[in-house]
Amino acid sequence: MKIHAFLLTVLLAVPLLPGMCRAAETGRALKADVLRSAPYSDARKTGVIVRGETLQILTKKGAWLNVKNGKRASGWVRLLSVRRGTAGSGSTSKGVLDVASGRAGTGTIVATTGVRGLNEEELKGARYNAAEVKKLDGYAQTPRQGEQFARRGGLRAVKFAYLPEPKQKGGRR
Amino acid sequence: MKRLRVLGFFWGFLFAVCVLPAEALDLGEALKGVVIGGTAVTSGQTGEAPPKTEAIPGEGKPAFSLKSPSREQEIDIGREIAGNLLGASPLVDDAALQTYVNQVGRWVANQSERADLPWRFGVIESADINAFAAPGGYVFVTRGLYRCLENEAQLAGVLSHEIAHVVRSHHLKILKQSQLLDIGAGWVGKRVGTDREILRKVIGSGAEVCARSLDRSAEFEADRMGVTLTVRAGYEPYGLPEVLQTIGQTGRDESRVTLLFKTHPHPDDRLLELDESIGNRLDAVRGGKTLGNRFYRLKP
Repeated sequence: MKIHAFLLTVLLAVPLLPGMCRAAETGRALKADVLRSAPYSDARKTGVIVRGETLQILTKKGAWLNVKNGKRASGWVRLLSVRRGTAGSGSTSKGVLDVASGRAGTGTIVATTGVRGLNEEELKGARYNAAEVKKLDGYAQTPRQGEQFARRGGLRAVKFAYLPEPKQKGGRR
Repeated sequence: MKRLRVLGFFWGFLFAVCVLPAEALDLGEALKGVVIGGTAVTSGQTGEAPPKTEAIPGEGKPAFSLKSPSREQEIDIGREIAGNLLGASPLVDDAALQTYVNQVGRWVANQSERADLPWRFGVIESADINAFAAPGGYVFVTRGLYRCLENEAQLAGVLSHEIAHVVRSHHLKILKQSQLLDIGAGWVGKRVGTDREILRKVIGSGAEVCARSLDRSAEFEADRMGVTLTVRAGYEPYGLPEVLQTIGQTGRDESRVTLLFKTHPHPDDRLLELDESIGNRLDAVRGGKTLGNRFYRLKP
């Protein structure tokens, strides 16, 4: 009887595991923003996030992330308000965003044996390579070929105006 | 054939330089005429347009403003830069990969105002995380950056940013700014150089223009246009922001992002700027595709 109960618990718990694994992703708030009850800008406000605070990222839906900030609140916030992951030493900003970012330069380096980087000196000293330019030409696609490729993937052209320059300059300068 | 045209450019340039009055008061303006008149030789072989007021005295070449170079001239300049860049980092030897990138790039470029350009896309052999554009429709992504991508929408986002640089002639503007000064200095020094030297005056040496920073505003503009073009092409709009998110996680002191971080605003700043611009404008965009299944994955 007890064994059955145990098995039942295990069976019920297994499907939850993948979700639990995904919940491990964290991020950091790039700016103060509002948390909402659903991934829409007119959804009910459930809380706020403060710039620089660490967030747990639960799921992503379109332009929105469902996040949780410690014990205080959870809700949906715009994807662009959050930097996913906790690595990196941040931007030019000083202060809270630079805290707890000592991981820079470790862990993520992949093996790059035999493959060079591109520094300024190499670019400056580069010599014209006619054979490679010819190869490059060989891979070119016509506008029509581009359309056919898009159709095969189910892509359809959408009318959309260029995004405007922000009136009020955002970001840290 | 191409080489011949470039040679034509040089001889035209040399000739123009020789007939230029050295005592020209406005050296910058005069030199602009030189470069311009010389370059026009390439396209002026058949039809002879009447010389404008700024044309070099005694020459029948059409004056040509670098403010609005011909399509052919733009492509010539870009091709030279692209060839030099490929001299530093050749194409990844994978025909399927290169074709795929050209298919995605071409479709996205079709959505821009410069669909007429002979767009060329390539993945180059470099562990760095970076992407480059040259005038006339040349776009390159490093193997290091390609490896960061997870789906076709993200690739489209990266290519879109570079396509935007080409459409807005951002690099041409940079060349224009420095070129006149450089030629001015060379002229005062030793009058005339060799073919190679003169070409370097136009595009700088090698692919150094690829290592130069554009204005921050040009990068932000390319991000906004990039997202726009991605949307127009029917992709999920957040391809580019997602890649910026990924790059933002790379430590500043990692060598593979040194050049990128030196020449671009930090990804965090770019994301914030994009956020300001986007607001809720993408909320109504539905049905964008990610196409992770068709994304071409590099062999390990």
